[in-house]
Amino acid sequence: MMYFMFLFGFFFVFWMVGVSCQPSPYYGVLSLVLGAASGCAVLVIMGGSFVSLVLFLIYLGGMLVLFAYSTALVAESGHIGWNYWESAFYVVIYVLCIVFAGVYYYWAWSVEGFGCATVDGDGPFTIRFDFSGVSWFYCFGSMMFVIVGWGLLLTLFVVLALVHGLSRGVVRAI
Amino acid sequence: MTPLHFSYYSAFTISIMGLSFHRTHLISTLLCLESMMLSLFIALSLWPIQLSISSFTLTPMLMLAFSACEAAMGLSLLVASSRTHGSDHLQNLNLLQC
Repeated sequence: MMYFMFLFGFFFVFWMVGVSCQPSPYYGVLSLVLGAASGCAVLVIMGGSFVSLVLFLIYLGGMLVLFAYSTALVAESGHIGWNYWESAFYVVIYVLCIVFAGVYYYWAWSVEGFGCATVDGDGPFTIRFDFSGVSWFYCFGSMMFVIVGWGLLLTLFVVLALVHGLSRGVVRAI
Repeated sequence: MTPLHFSYYSAFTISIMGLSFHRTHLISTLLCLESMMLSLFIALSLWPIQLSISSFTLTPMLMLAFSACEAAMGLSLLVASSRTHGSDHLQNLNLLQC
């Protein structure tokens, strides 16, 4: 089972290398979506199914949809795709960095084994602890809840000021 | 360092290198920023899971909320610069160049 988790951990790093090396932002968004899916799989296998679902909903369903639409709005239609030798150079350098770091960590300190123990439920009538952890938001974290809500409302007004354009915007349109 | 910790540590490092070495588009930089936030979310979620501290599950939720704000800021700056310069190419952001 731990090898299964290690596989998704490897896929996560693979897609993150893909995000950093893509010359075209269309493929970068796709790579980030698949990397987020692999990260969710890692969290589910480790026992945090609630945080994984939150990541899927908020990150993929909210933020990355916004990113995909902005990419379609801003990036030009004649995207160059893989300029093979230049992008392959970046991929090789990043993979060499990871391999070098991995060799250093596993040679300098001995291998401790794959992964750690998981925390799993005991049946249908127990509460997974990451559900119960987030519910602290409404009890002792209520002030933080209010502050985060205020921050999100403030973000809305800041975004409105930034993209207002014409004569009142931060970056004026010519 | 276990392979699990190494995976999000290397994902963060690769993303910050991709942020530094971005080549053409501003939106590629914002995507690398988002992948940094993703690796930080996974790190902050795995910490209470592995140590069985349930109340620290709040931290990734808060981080996700603030990273959504930051993504909105970055995208609005992208739209504003795209309106002014016509595209999001980084070579157009050369106001300080002599």
